[in-house]
Amino acid sequence: MCGIVGYTGHKDAGKVIISGLKRLEYRGYDSAGIAVKNEGSIYLQKKKGRIDQLDETEVPKYDAGIGHTRWATHGKPSDENAHPFLDCDENIALVHNGIIDNFNSIKDELLDKGHEFTSETDSEVIVHLIEENYHGDILEAFKKTIEFIEGSYAVALIHKDSNELIVARNESPLVIGVGSGENFVASDVPALLDHTKDVKYLLDGDIARVTRNEIEIWDEKDELVERETKRIDWDVEDAEKSGYEHYMLKEIFEQPKAIHESILGRLTSFDDVDLLKYDIDSVQFIACGTSSHAGYVGRYIFENLAEIPCTVEVSSEYRYTSPSDSTPFTILFSQSGETLDTIAAAREARKRGCNTLAVTNVMDSSITREVDEVVYTQAGPEIGVAATKTFTTQVIILYLLAIELGLKKGVLSRDKAEEYKDELRRLPRKVERILDDMDKIKDITERLSESRDIFFVGRNINYPVALEGALKLKEIAYIHAAGYPAGELKHGPFALLTEDTPVIALAVKDHTFQKMLGNIGEIAARNSPVIVVGDEDREIKKLADDFYFIPETTPIFSPLLVNVVLQLIAYYTAYRLDRDIDKPRNLAKSVTVE
Amino acid sequence: MKAVILAAGEGTRLRPFTATEPKVMIPVANRPILQYVVESLVKNGIDEIVMVVGYRRQRIMSYFGDGDDFGADIEYVIQRKQPPSGGTAHALYQAKDKIEDEFLVLPGDNVISKETVSDLLNNMDDYSLLITKSETPSKYGVVTLEKGGEEIRNLIEKPQRSPSHLISTGICSFPPEIFRYIEETMKEDDYDIPSVIQKVLKDKSVRVIRTEETWIDAVYPWDLLHVNSAALGNVNKSINGQIEERVIIKGNVRIGKGTRIRGGSFIEGPAVIGEGCDIGPNACILPSSSIGDNTKVAPFTVIRNSVLMRGVLLEANSTVENSVIGEGVRIGTNFSTYSADSRVDAEDGLHQVKKIGVMIAEDSIVGSGVTVESGVIIGKDCEIKSGRTVRENLESGVKAV
Repeated sequence: MCGIVGYTGHKDAGKVIISGLKRLEYRGYDSAGIAVKNEGSIYLQKKKGRIDQLDETEVPKYDAGIGHTRWATHGKPSDENAHPFLDCDENIALVHNGIIDNFNSIKDELLDKGHEFTSETDSEVIVHLIEENYHGDILEAFKKTIEFIEGSYAVALIHKDSNELIVARNESPLVIGVGSGENFVASDVPALLDHTKDVKYLLDGDIARVTRNEIEIWDEKDELVERETKRIDWDVEDAEKSGYEHYMLKEIFEQPKAIHESILGRLTSFDDVDLLKYDIDSVQFIACGTSSHAGYVGRYIFENLAEIPCTVEVSSEYRYTSPSDSTPFTILFSQSGETLDTIAAAREARKRGCNTLAVTNVMDSSITREVDEVVYTQAGPEIGVAATKTFTTQVIILYLLAIELGLKKGVLSRDKAEEYKDELRRLPRKVERILDDMDKIKDITERLSESRDIFFVGRNINYPVALEGALKLKEIAYIHAAGYPAGELKHGPFALLTEDTPVIALAVKDHTFQKMLGNIGEIAARNSPVIVVGDEDREIKKLADDFYFIPETTPIFSPLLVNVVLQLIAYYTAYRLDRDIDKPRNLAKSVTVE
Repeated sequence: MKAVILAAGEGTRLRPFTATEPKVMIPVANRPILQYVVESLVKNGIDEIVMVVGYRRQRIMSYFGDGDDFGADIEYVIQRKQPPSGGTAHALYQAKDKIEDEFLVLPGDNVISKETVSDLLNNMDDYSLLITKSETPSKYGVVTLEKGGEEIRNLIEKPQRSPSHLISTGICSFPPEIFRYIEETMKEDDYDIPSVIQKVLKDKSVRVIRTEETWIDAVYPWDLLHVNSAALGNVNKSINGQIEERVIIKGNVRIGKGTRIRGGSFIEGPAVIGEGCDIGPNACILPSSSIGDNTKVAPFTVIRNSVLMRGVLLEANSTVENSVIGEGVRIGTNFSTYSADSRVDAEDGLHQVKKIGVMIAEDSIVGSGVTVESGVIIGKDCEIKSGRTVRENLESGVKAV
């Protein structure tokens, strides 16, 4: 996904476009750019990174232009690959959202004709093909070009000699905003709503010329047509959240798809990284916050599937430990790839002679330049400050890596590996089944929202999930919560248990289940309300005040499912307390300071 | 013009396949039925869509989102409680606040095409109803006509003896005043659109428009096979994923990304295979088959005219024909179905069905060497031990040892 904005009118185009792009940040944010028509030339600024990277003050004040925010899926994010693109003579600037299927053949032809390309993108061929077809009439050249192009696209362009925007749409969204003495184009309505509520939706195959006073639209048969003007009656926030009240809930519900994308193609051959190259005797995981909990889960996964001893470090601490002789294979997690502490830890690990691998969600982010190998979680943009789908996909990557390593070391049989892969294929559906029960989980949170302190306990591979559950509750519900290994409560925290301190116990049927039952009994004996999340069991039904049973799975995969339940528990608790769920106080999505 | 799509129902007669998925989300050629409805509207330039959702609404909302990916603007309204019977009018009433002008109403659970909607748009009046011919009219609302076939005389829901073979498709156009008629009808404890139309007929005329374009309904689980095969007729060849050597692909076959087709496999279209599948080596997929995402088909397995939904695991040397296999079903080696004309015991009684194999619902586990007789329906979460022969339906959750 990418976002497009175009403007022509009496206002400062740069300002309108940049504020519009910010409204489209949910469509992607790894590079951005803007082109405005200047006196007889085109001014261009494009940068890797968020839209904030664009320097608005640099943009000359002029009244027509286009902008773009990108989310790379193919071709890394960089200044070069950012849109807009110019033709060789720098007369035309163009932005594109979609995929051009036949770009290779077009590019070869254009190269033969002497066109010079500045990027690896499919999008750039369009602007050069227009240049090739241009004989004084930009609209004709554009129409001729569109005929040649196969694929999906929303395209917008400006020419240096005119104030008009030329746009086309096929299988990618594009709307025209109708103003008075000004008009707009955008990938989605939110980009327009500060300026107008009247829009025209283009249909597939439509081409339009938009000037400040006029909008002309041609359909796929090149006949001039009218597209009805519609008035938008909803507000911006709703639009971006697809009917969900918060980004966080939307992103929780996107997890089945995110898991699917993360395993896609990687189960039959995992070739993101060649682990055979490295001699891996031990592994250390380094990360901050939620990502560090993925590391703790990873420790159990690796020790179990690949029989490799692991340690977990928090980024901000690791840097200041004293170096030792051991050089464990180092796996670092950062959703944004910009977490400063983790980037510094990556440098430090390298300095200490470790081979390093980063797991991140943002293509070509800063951390990827500090490590030997990169594996991407395919979670798509995450807007909510509380990490949800990115944690889930980090854990998925850990399963994939551990299975590969286990096979390589010969400690995991082919058969067993296939069984695990079959279970990975089933995980998206199992998460869906939990999401189906959201109302049931919401009911559980009633007593939680009135509590001052809440404990989370787990054992073995679900102990880190207890930590993560507690963190989520702190982050978004502002309730003090702490995660403990279940056996640790009686070594201190027991003193705090009263009938007003609920305990959420994670009980799955692995080799620690009987012990967990004992722990739950002890807690219940202190009159603390016990809520159990885990595998279905008769004893639990008797012991617990409330429970939620996850779909059946192999214990090693249970953290992922249990955690989805805890995400919903945190969400609905915060919801009952009317917290600012997507932007909790004092917190930022990516922490780029030490 | 806006369109309201009614997508709140479960589709009980499709049980056990609607246990977790509403009927509108049941895949046909790997796309939810509802997607065919949305696309038919968008292709006619109608992109403002109000969806009335209820049963398992999250499934619908997370798939369609705000409609961007489908070229539409989708708003959702929730039908929280359904009246005891039917309730299409009650569902439509939930959309009242979103409607200002004349609008379309469409059921979300029939496969239709762009042309179906065009037929209505090109001929519509204030009140119009799109009708079509049916061989089994008594399952539907049967229409009798007057004024030389232009207007409705009467609309009778599921009559014992059908006065005509013309039935309502449920696709209509209404002015906003319809909500007044709905209010009146609901006061009489009647919550169905046909009853509302009866009421309208007392004051006004309702134009009927006949369509011969696509309108396919899946009422019972076995209907999914012919709906699927009809939808596969429109599939174009598109091959993604990884195709190993010595794979033969004939005809219109769509293969999703991240899928691997292993050596020696034979695939004949029309067929669709989803994303992230692992097929073969030496698997054989014959015409009119749909295979959902993340499905694994092991060596020497034959699939013919069948629907396999997402996440199915089908082990080696098995045969599946004229069958519907639900999401996440796991089937061991040497499984066999055979198909024959059978009497099938569905939610509402016995039905004679031509050439049907087996229907297995979500997450059931079938051991190795199991034979299931034709026409048998196996519920969700069942477990069948290896070596068994299953001769009659199993309720959901049954462990057959």
